[in-house]
Amino acid sequence: MLEVDGLTKRYGDTLALSSLTFAVRPGEVFGFVGANGAGKTTAMRIMLGVLAADAGEVRWQGRPVTFETRRRFGYMPEERGLYPKMRVGEHLVYLARLHGLDAAAATRAAEALTERLGVATRRDDAVEKLSLGNQQRVQLAAALVHDPEVLVLDEPFSGLDPVGVDALAGVLLERAKRGVPVVFSSHQLDLVERLCDSVGIINAGRLVASGTVAELRERETTRQLRVVVPDVPATWAGTLPGVTVVSERRGEVVLELGPGVDDQQVLAAAARAGRVEHFSRRRPTLTELFREAVADVPADRVEVTA
Amino acid sequence: MSGSPRGMVGLVMRREIVTRVRDKSFLVSTLLTLVIVAAVVVLPSLFGGDDDEVTVGVVGNAAAVEPALRQAAAAQDARLTLTTFPDEAAARTAVTGGDADAAFLAPDRVLVDAELSGTTEQVVRTAYQQAVGSARLTEAGLDATAVARALDVPPLGVTAVDPPDPDAEGRQQAAFIGILLLYFQLIGYGIAVALGVVEEKSSRVVELLLSTLRPWQLLAGKVLGIGLLGLGQLVLTGLVGIGAALASGAVDLPSGLAGVVGQVLLWFLLGYAFYACLFAALAALVSRQEEVQNVTAPLTIVLVGSFFLALTVMGDPESTLARVTSIVPPLSAMVMPIRWATGTVPLWEVGVSMLLMVLAVVSLVRLAGWIYAGAVLRSGPRVGLRDALRSGRTQG
Repeated sequence: MLEVDGLTKRYGDTLALSSLTFAVRPGEVFGFVGANGAGKTTAMRIMLGVLAADAGEVRWQGRPVTFETRRRFGYMPEERGLYPKMRVGEHLVYLARLHGLDAAAATRAAEALTERLGVATRRDDAVEKLSLGNQQRVQLAAALVHDPEVLVLDEPFSGLDPVGVDALAGVLLERAKRGVPVVFSSHQLDLVERLCDSVGIINAGRLVASGTVAELRERETTRQLRVVVPDVPATWAGTLPGVTVVSERRGEVVLELGPGVDDQQVLAAAARAGRVEHFSRRRPTLTELFREAVADVPADRVEVTA
Repeated sequence: MSGSPRGMVGLVMRREIVTRVRDKSFLVSTLLTLVIVAAVVVLPSLFGGDDDEVTVGVVGNAAAVEPALRQAAAAQDARLTLTTFPDEAAARTAVTGGDADAAFLAPDRVLVDAELSGTTEQVVRTAYQQAVGSARLTEAGLDATAVARALDVPPLGVTAVDPPDPDAEGRQQAAFIGILLLYFQLIGYGIAVALGVVEEKSSRVVELLLSTLRPWQLLAGKVLGIGLLGLGQLVLTGLVGIGAALASGAVDLPSGLAGVVGQVLLWFLLGYAFYACLFAALAALVSRQEEVQNVTAPLTIVLVGSFFLALTVMGDPESTLARVTSIVPPLSAMVMPIRWATGTVPLWEVGVSMLLMVLAVVSLVRLAGWIYAGAVLRSGPRVGLRDALRSGRTQG
């Protein structure tokens, strides 16, 4: 289990992280979402020991993470970075060896990964000669080449085309299946929803919501109803007191209930209008959850870039 | 998984060396240095007009001075080439064209291009005096052979109480070439270290590296790798220079040359350790290649300054200035080899000088390590020196 426990980090007067706590099980894919400057990168840099926390600790398999443990982590920094003039294959071998692999194992791993990520033909080219998308693939290979026990990836999908996204997603899920906890941050919430077993929403340095996507959606029921009464115009709903029509399309209406409005009365009204095919509380999308979570936080918190 | 700290440093070193050796511009500049050094060693002897070779022409009845010229040349240890010109015009052409150093138009008149000087002057004047003298003695009735014998004076024997070391000058020249190379190596490789540090910062690869390496390992690997390359290049240059001198037979290798070469190599090691750490620490403060020159300017100034100091000291290696600066680090790196070449510097001064430099390096390595660790992950605007030092120290 990868545990992040009470991480706090201060830059001068601004609080970048405030008692950030979450845990990722082996094989779990954890999506880290939050606005720019919410503290995702700061948290990840601390997890990799690139930055020191003011308080709190990171544990792996029950023990505080040390320099030696971290060498078995895989990391993709937000700021992409490779030696521009080094050849792709040699670069990966070099990084693998720095992580402790011997020459033969490092070469094997670099070859397998470049193959898997579709950049095998570029092994002998300098990194700078590759397109940005391919550099991104090499960057991911750099995070994976030493077969890490834990993966921490900061915005791994940014700048990738859909094919690249699929390739990367495939590799991440494959690693997770082998029991590696995967933490990644992303602004592409649909992607997070699709790939992640659990999600943490961070805002102004604090974890404001976390759990599986299903759990979060369960917990945050909205005051919205989805009602399907086919072949009938939505006028039946428009007249109900305290009810607003949010959207309407071919008999499917989404209604926003005012405070104190009884959903059973809405059901009765729908039944009077026609045959009710579907009646449910509408679950929020991750995007809505995210907006709501971020909006709940007092506005006086200062945004920091880190 | 394995990977001893030393193994990590070795990996970083290897990368530094391999990347640079493969770089075409490195190979070209190395080759160019070798060619220049070989040329500097060989060329002077090819063009530096051998003074001991004298070509003198004679016109008409001036041929009477020929025996005297031969005698004078032999006494001066000069090689004489005698040419006979049919008339004054031919002699004039030869003298202005440089084919002859001087031409006797008559026994008492000599033609030269600009002025009579050097060995030519000595040979010509001696020959003239002898020719005139022996002519007068013969006129006075003396036997020609007796006159010749009387005028053939054996060279004067000189005994010096404190003779100059005949090889001191040669060693000085070697030391001069040595510190010239030392200067270029220190500044070139120091800047290479600085650029390497900033390359890692500006490309952001340093964040990835430091998730598996400690800052000191990255720093040590870089400094050692680049330094080894610099040392290799210096040794190669020295070998090519000495080889060129031997092969061309142009220069006689002075005795004590090995000592001078040893001094230059030793001071390269110490000087490089001193400067490279500082170059790395200062470069870690900035994030863009364009800023490297600015931030490392103080070091460049010290390097250039100590080079010119060494040139000054060459003029008077026993002065107080020379004695003091050859002991003060880092000035000693370039001044001491010069003093060493004179062959008169007391060994204890060399010892003190080296000891002080080693102490300076040892304390600087720690300081530089702290600054580097405190600054290398902070991209963006230039990091303050004190700020870097403080956060570097707390990281341990």
